[in-house]
Amino acid sequence: MNQAAVVTENRPTRAPNAAPAWYAGIGRSAARSRATLVAIVVFALLFLVTDWISPGPITYFDVSFLASGGTTLALAAVGQTLVILSGGFDLSAGAVISLVNAVLAANMSMTDMEASVVEWTAVGIAVGMLVGAFNGLFIAFLRLQPIVVTLSTMFIVQGGTLLVLEQPGGFVAPSLGAFYMGDAVPNLLPAPILLLGVVLLLWAWLKRTRYGLALYASGSDPASAAAIGISVPWVRFATYVIAGGLYGLAGVFISAQTGSGDPLVGNSLLLSIFAAVVIGGTRLGGGKGGPVGSVFGAFTLMIVVNILLALNVSAYFSTVAEGGVLLLAVLFASLSRDSVLAEQIREGLAALRARSAGLLVTQRPKVDHRLAFAARRGAEAGAATPVPGFLERNAETIRYAAPAYVALALVLVATQFVLGNVLTNFSYWNALFVLSTFLAILALGQGAVILTGGLDLSLPWTIALSGILLAGLVRGSDPALVYALPLVFAVAAAIGLANGIGVVMLGLSPIVVTLAMNGILQGAALLYSNGTPSGFASPALRWFMTGYLGGVTPVLVFLAAFVIGATVLLGRTSFGRRVYAIGNSLEAARLSGVRTGRVIIAVYVLSALCAALVGILLTGFSGQASLGMGDDYLLPSIAVVVVGGALITGGRGHYLGMFGGALLLTALQTLLAGTTLPYAFRAILFGCVVLAAVIALRERRTS
Amino acid sequence: MTTIVKSLALAAGLTCAFAASGEAVEKHKVFLSMSYIGNDWQAEAANMVKALAASKDYADKVDLQVQVAGPNAQRQIQQINAMVQAGAEAIVVYPISPTALNQVVKNACSKGVKVVAYDAEITEPCAYNVTIDQEEAGRKTAEWLADKLGGKGDVVLVTGVPGTSVDIARTKAAKEVFAKHPDIKIVGEAVGMWSQAVARTELSKLLATRKWDDIDGLWMQVGCYTANAMQLEAGKTDDELLPCAGEGSNGGRIQALAKGTEVEGASSPYAPLGAPRISYASPPYSGALALKLAVDMIEGKDVPHHTTLPLPLVTNETIQLCETGSWEEMKSGCNTFKPSIVANPGWFGSIFSDQLPQLGLNAALVGQPET
Repeated sequence: MNQAAVVTENRPTRAPNAAPAWYAGIGRSAARSRATLVAIVVFALLFLVTDWISPGPITYFDVSFLASGGTTLALAAVGQTLVILSGGFDLSAGAVISLVNAVLAANMSMTDMEASVVEWTAVGIAVGMLVGAFNGLFIAFLRLQPIVVTLSTMFIVQGGTLLVLEQPGGFVAPSLGAFYMGDAVPNLLPAPILLLGVVLLLWAWLKRTRYGLALYASGSDPASAAAIGISVPWVRFATYVIAGGLYGLAGVFISAQTGSGDPLVGNSLLLSIFAAVVIGGTRLGGGKGGPVGSVFGAFTLMIVVNILLALNVSAYFSTVAEGGVLLLAVLFASLSRDSVLAEQIREGLAALRARSAGLLVTQRPKVDHRLAFAARRGAEAGAATPVPGFLERNAETIRYAAPAYVALALVLVATQFVLGNVLTNFSYWNALFVLSTFLAILALGQGAVILTGGLDLSLPWTIALSGILLAGLVRGSDPALVYALPLVFAVAAAIGLANGIGVVMLGLSPIVVTLAMNGILQGAALLYSNGTPSGFASPALRWFMTGYLGGVTPVLVFLAAFVIGATVLLGRTSFGRRVYAIGNSLEAARLSGVRTGRVIIAVYVLSALCAALVGILLTGFSGQASLGMGDDYLLPSIAVVVVGGALITGGRGHYLGMFGGALLLTALQTLLAGTTLPYAFRAILFGCVVLAAVIALRERRTS
Repeated sequence: MTTIVKSLALAAGLTCAFAASGEAVEKHKVFLSMSYIGNDWQAEAANMVKALAASKDYADKVDLQVQVAGPNAQRQIQQINAMVQAGAEAIVVYPISPTALNQVVKNACSKGVKVVAYDAEITEPCAYNVTIDQEEAGRKTAEWLADKLGGKGDVVLVTGVPGTSVDIARTKAAKEVFAKHPDIKIVGEAVGMWSQAVARTELSKLLATRKWDDIDGLWMQVGCYTANAMQLEAGKTDDELLPCAGEGSNGGRIQALAKGTEVEGASSPYAPLGAPRISYASPPYSGALALKLAVDMIEGKDVPHHTTLPLPLVTNETIQLCETGSWEEMKSGCNTFKPSIVANPGWFGSIFSDQLPQLGLNAALVGQPET
């Protein structure tokens, strides 16, 4: 149980002079915290590998550097872990780190070289907790979805950070650096390790309190937790506040480490934080795992930098190698007798045996074995039940999809008011729909994945790779589209298939699989294009996206067809029903005879195909493809799905709602682009409007 | 445990020592720490650094290892530390943040490692920086635009990545120039993120509520090529294209060539249009120059802490098409490349440095030195 003890024991750099009694404790908790232990073992192995391949022995200084390098990420990952344990999700983590860094750097006095460490650390933690309280307020008490709330907070905080510190600069007193980066015990214990040790000890204490128990309980099953008298909202609120405090501490640490401020410093940490948490063995969706693993997950991610350097991995391969390490680490952690992979293999073998024995279900005669009374009752019920009216049947869908359209209407009115002459101006509508096309298409793929309870983070480089492939294949020639389009879609289908297989067959978290895939695709795009994508869209494709057909851009016709097709696909086909069934309960769907594995794989293939379509259309829109052209579509693709009324944990949402979300986001961006407001205010406004839109989506009464 | 670790490490150290002694000539160990490589500029800069390291003059002197840190400053800090530990004599770095690396760079300096940053700056005094004067870039281009407009008109700005020093220096300088002309009004400001693709979507959003006729001029950090293409799509003729002050992409420069110029491989909008342009750039050869300076320093030469590159400015008057793009040819003044050779219009054209005769067009395109 004593997890802090596990930490100190497994630091290879410290003399293992601990009492043998601890080992018994480890043995007892080993079964329960297996994932955490594996994370520690993975890190230890990588550490030994680094030691092997790097020239010269690893000294105290090396360890000290490694410790200070990974601490910011580790602290933030601990905060994120708590949020995830509570069943939540926090996208504002990176932004809070930037904010605290900016607040410290902008407010510390240049003349005060000996600024109080305690005081400024408290300021940093307090700023983080304040943001956490803001998140917690909306998530715990207004019951809004964590992903949208924290996404809005992320934009608001990023804007606020730029108001505090416009550009890199400022001053952080050296006393902070000396304290956090120095030695707690010279030549034995670097201060960052002590700091992490203290944080984990606090966690070990917290875990034993009533709060700790309530945290795991409300993450595992909020309804049961509430039933035994736990105040789930307060537990959630406290979790976001504590997590905010930890991001704040990470911000203080990075300030001490860098000695100055940069308003963008933490933003790019976001995906690494999630990767660290998942490598650390914490399961998304709550209830399982713990911060100790996340700390080692963070250090695993950082030590990969040293390994890539020592092996001299070519620059183009570095994201591929990283993706590989991420996958292997998690795969290694999941290997056991009852892992999904083992189960798949057992089931596959059993199916083979059954086939040779002729016992497989599909080999049996296809005769209707329906029981006589079941058919009779069905007939009676069908005749007796009156069909409810349209509004009544779709009441729930409308309630969740409507806010996006109401907010859209408000934004349109605001646009008319601020910029004038837009609502009657056809070119405005044309531009709005053309620009919405990309998000509307992504919403189908990402939406279907989210409906099954997954998430596709490989969109950015699926988009870019598809665009680059297409441009390179067609090279401005229309006839080439005939073979280029199928080829690009085939590649995308293979990407989706790989994602789906990773999720279903290997049983890995969708976040890990698709994040690793994103890195691998980035490497593939760089290798294919050799760093400079060549070729350009063909005239027909350019005309499709930017030309006019009787005053209308041709893609609008396609968009209309796509929206109808997507609505039918998710709402009226058996595939769509299976997607919803899986999202509501994977187990229930499986027991009702849904081939869940196939459907989930199909959903990832659909998502990759949609991303490829966006890549192709973007190439037509811009005239050529570029590296990084998909970077700006990941978070919006998730945002439109959720703003459109879908539940991030799956099972609820309608495509028309998501389409409304796409229109809303685009209209809002168009409005903000039309003003001359500074970027900081635009970001804050954007976050506020998205937040306001989802307040209307509030669950009335649950749990 | 500790002893095992140490003996393993020792063994590893010994094997490496043997491996090193096997090589005939002692090469200088230089590392390149790049930022995010997912864009045209970074890839081009990397090609040029690699080309210089592979050139005859440097191949025997330098053992260059290229590493990518991604967009995350934390990782670059870690990477630079690891490079110092791996025995770097010099580190050439594209800094993700001008300030976040200060402590680690200071530590590297204290161990005698030369740290040279290119394109963006590191504010730590012991670092060496190779950059253009961003303020000058913003000012000169804005002055050209104000001049073109006769001091009167509505302009749209497309800026870079918010929160970076480079963006703020350029945009501030430009706004100061426009402020001196009371009749020049800034009617729109879009965040272009230094990407042609983003410039396209942002301009589309801006034009959803406006017409091209309402705009008299454009000042963009990246995106003139795209803006011209969009005007053609909107039905403007070549003669009606708005004056655009912007980046040094080859596509934009080809458009600035006089209408009717014969250019191999040109097809609209990547074709001569006679578009009124001033093209400036943060030149992608700065990484290669940083490598040269690093080697100079290792060899004992004195190098100033700040090397300000001459600002490459090209206007309709000074634009000149290259035949082959060799260094010799560029030395005589050509600055634009045929679409048949440079297929990507977003590719950056300012690759000529009089200090780097090893690098011609092929260096930037595929990483191949002249000699």
